[in-house]
Amino acid sequence: MPSRDPTPASFLPLTPAVLHILLALAEGERHGYAIAQAVEAATDGMVRMGPGTLYGSIGRMVSSGLIEETGRGRSRTTDDERRRFYRATTLGRRVLEAETERLARVVAVARAKNVLRRPEPA
Amino acid sequence: MTSAAERASRLLLRFYPETFRREYGEDVIEFVRARAAEPRYATAGGRTRLLLDVLADGVPGAVREHRALRAQRRTATPYDAHPPFTLPPEELMVTLAQDIRYALRTLRRRPSFTAVAAITLSLGIGGTAAIFGLVDVMLFRPLRYPASHELVAVTMTRGASLREPAAYPDFLDWREQARSFQSLGVARWQSVNLTGGEAPERLAGSFVSASLLTLLGAEPLAGRVFLPDESEVGTARPVAVVSEGLWRRRFGAARDLVGQSIQLNGRAFTVVGIVPSTFTFYAGTDVWLPITYYPNAVGLTRKDHSMTVLGRLKPDVSLASARAEMHAIGARLAALYPEENAGGGTHVELLHTLIVGDVRNALFIVLGAVALVLLIACANVANLQLAYAVARRREMSVRAALGAGRARLTRQLLTESLILSVIGGVLGVAVAYGGVAVLLKIVPIDLTFFSPVAVDGRVLAFAAVVAIGTGIVFGLAPALHASRADLNRALATRASGLVERVGRLELRGLFVVAQIALSVVLLVGAGLLARSLMKLREVDLGFDPANLVTMEFRLPATKYDEPRKISDFFTRAIGEIRAVPGVASAALVRSIPLSGNGDSRAYAVDGAPPPAAGQAPIMNLNTVSPGYFATMRLSLVAGRDVSERDDAGAPPVVVINETLARRAWPNASALGRRIRFVDSERWFTVVGVARDAKHFSPTDAPRPQAYLPYMQYPQIFTSVVVRSSGEATQVGNAVRDAIWRVDRDQPVWKIRTLESIVDAVLGSKRVLLGLVAAFATVALLLAAVGIYGVMSFAVTQRTHEVGVRMALGAHRGQVVRMVVGQGLRLTAVALVVGLLTAAGAARVLASELFGITPRDPFTYGLVPLILGAVAVVACYLPARRASRLDPLAALRRD
Repeated sequence: MPSRDPTPASFLPLTPAVLHILLALAEGERHGYAIAQAVEAATDGMVRMGPGTLYGSIGRMVSSGLIEETGRGRSRTTDDERRRFYRATTLGRRVLEAETERLARVVAVARAKNVLRRPEPA
Repeated sequence: MTSAAERASRLLLRFYPETFRREYGEDVIEFVRARAAEPRYATAGGRTRLLLDVLADGVPGAVREHRALRAQRRTATPYDAHPPFTLPPEELMVTLAQDIRYALRTLRRRPSFTAVAAITLSLGIGGTAAIFGLVDVMLFRPLRYPASHELVAVTMTRGASLREPAAYPDFLDWREQARSFQSLGVARWQSVNLTGGEAPERLAGSFVSASLLTLLGAEPLAGRVFLPDESEVGTARPVAVVSEGLWRRRFGAARDLVGQSIQLNGRAFTVVGIVPSTFTFYAGTDVWLPITYYPNAVGLTRKDHSMTVLGRLKPDVSLASARAEMHAIGARLAALYPEENAGGGTHVELLHTLIVGDVRNALFIVLGAVALVLLIACANVANLQLAYAVARRREMSVRAALGAGRARLTRQLLTESLILSVIGGVLGVAVAYGGVAVLLKIVPIDLTFFSPVAVDGRVLAFAAVVAIGTGIVFGLAPALHASRADLNRALATRASGLVERVGRLELRGLFVVAQIALSVVLLVGAGLLARSLMKLREVDLGFDPANLVTMEFRLPATKYDEPRKISDFFTRAIGEIRAVPGVASAALVRSIPLSGNGDSRAYAVDGAPPPAAGQAPIMNLNTVSPGYFATMRLSLVAGRDVSERDDAGAPPVVVINETLARRAWPNASALGRRIRFVDSERWFTVVGVARDAKHFSPTDAPRPQAYLPYMQYPQIFTSVVVRSSGEATQVGNAVRDAIWRVDRDQPVWKIRTLESIVDAVLGSKRVLLGLVAAFATVALLLAAVGIYGVMSFAVTQRTHEVGVRMALGAHRGQVVRMVVGQGLRLTAVALVVGLLTAAGAARVLASELFGITPRDPFTYGLVPLILGAVAVVACYLPARRASRLDPLAALRRD
């Protein structure tokens, strides 16, 4: 646990795994396997997370306060028995915002320099 | 059903940290199960892809989790923003380059430290590498013959000795009966007279079977080696193979030498081939001749055990089975020839083991000694580093304050150490080159059988490993220590923190204790060897070697073909020699004591029941001329010397030594009693008893010895001993000329003093002592420097305290006592540790010692005194400096 409240900027830049997990959780809470599926769908299959990468990142994100368990898991009533669900914390959402803004600036600079071959929809 | 991917995941999970496994292990398995259930992974190809995905994800994942865990644990200590060695590779390379640049700059800024450290290390590394070069060639590499692991020596055994030479007929029997060998060969060394040129010359000859040359893989430069039947009884022909050395030296590298005939031992031999100088068996062989031309008729009989027999094992035959077969054959022969072979078994030994056997222990002792010196050198450099660490404390603190983690600082310091050790290693290679050259000069080891000793790839690789190893050994402790810089204390106050000071002094003290203790081990080793050499020199040889000159010659059997001609030559020669100015007395002797030559025969005593076959006692046998005992100053305790009247026509007489007299006639005088060889009915009457004298080695136990008069037992081999009235070396050539006045064609060789023969016998022990003593001296010097350095450092650190004490009225003497006392406490601890270690380690020396035990009290008493004295001096110098401090100046500091 960090001793002081960290600023969102102190987490930047995010590793690809952390960024994708935060993006997948932006739509709501999910369990691990669903996160991996969402990431894969969102990136047209470009990013396929393995369990080691996924749970390693989840562990670190939980301990640094970017995401949290919802407590909905472990209920043995649903199909998702034994599965744990995660959602982004406020800090996590702010960090995601800060990172996407940073990336947007990077893209803007790249576009200004004609580095991007075709304009992306903003 | 469990998928392969799931099994792989379970396996991989074991390599994750336990915390991760507990927290997420089930989730990971669930995840993989869910994946496996997806339709796209249902096919065989899909299953394989999933397995590969799991592996590609899980292996680096495990590494990542471990690192993360370590980093997390580390965050408890300050200044460790970056976990060590977890930077991405490209960043690591950048910092490595920075470290190296910075280290080079630092080393350049303190050239004297760098020079001292690099030289110290280069001596340690180079010395170790040179000795390793020798050890490697002798112990770890094959002999220079092809497929040398198949080469064995077949020997006779007698009592405890496994290495008795065989007789020629034994070799013939073995060759016929044994199935373990591809081939067996026989060799015997004997000098050969070469005549027909301007001057007669004595050559080193090897008499061999044709098979010996082929089994050793001789490849002639020109012509051929012997054909199989050229060395057999009945079919032998007078052919010779000449060495490249002789061909160049004596025959001017004549292209047409092959096919020509040369005069050897007074007989024409046709040269059939020339072998390169890289091929040899007996060192320095000039000419190879068929064994059947061995010049002494007795030499090929079953009585004469003097042949070296070599074999090449069949590839599928083990040493053990060859031994078993030869053991059985030996037993059969012993039953068949009870006279000559009784009690004698056979033994098969790898040629390599046989050759290396005697020096193996000495080699390891020297290697151990030089390794100790290397360790001491490491300790010294580590101490220097620690001393500099004090000077750099502020630098380290500043760098830490600027964000350098402890790992980074450690790496920086370690880089410096490694660069130092690499410089030391490069210089060390030069030292190794010199060291190998010196070793080859001084080490009295016959290197004929081995690949050439040189600084080659293996030695360089060894030096590199040692250099890197030393860099880490001497660099790590100081680096870890120095990088533990205390930011606040070092920056906030210039006063050196008490805790830190004591801590660092303790670490340096530990190095000094180690250095002194290791020096003690080396000094004790050198002391034991020196004491034992002194004891060897004090051994009563039985005769007086001073002012004695010896030389050897051999009459060619073709020219001196009857006993009368031989004894005539001897009588005339001894007359000429005695007439040479400067010769006080002279005599002939068959084999000079300690020269390595000597005969022994089984004997029987008149009046005692004849000994059972094979049980007869053995005596040394020598043949002497009148005056031998007087010339050697070997005193007779009873009876008389042999005289000119004891010739072929007179009754056979013998002079025996005290041991033989005591054993044969324990309770009576030996004079007038009779003795014979067991295989002869000719009785010799004892006319004199001489003191015991050493014959083969100064360490010989007393053995029975008989001396026969040369005219009753004439032999073509003889040596001359001359006692000169002045400097022994000066009469040598005059004596040789006297022999030439009797026979111009007679080569004379090995003109040397008996003292030089004694020296040669002690040679290997002297060299072992010399090497160990040299290393011990270096160790002592390094240890002295170490003590001095630590005490100087301590004094500098305590300047303030000393100032206070002196201001409060302490005398200079008290200050000196305080400082010296501190140093001597360290020394005392080290001496105790060192002596205990030495007492344990000295056991490896036991086989090299003579007349003392490995726990020799004298040595163990002396070494601490020497080291103690050195320590007192090394402590006194800084102590005196402390006592001369101006108290006011000392107090103003800080």
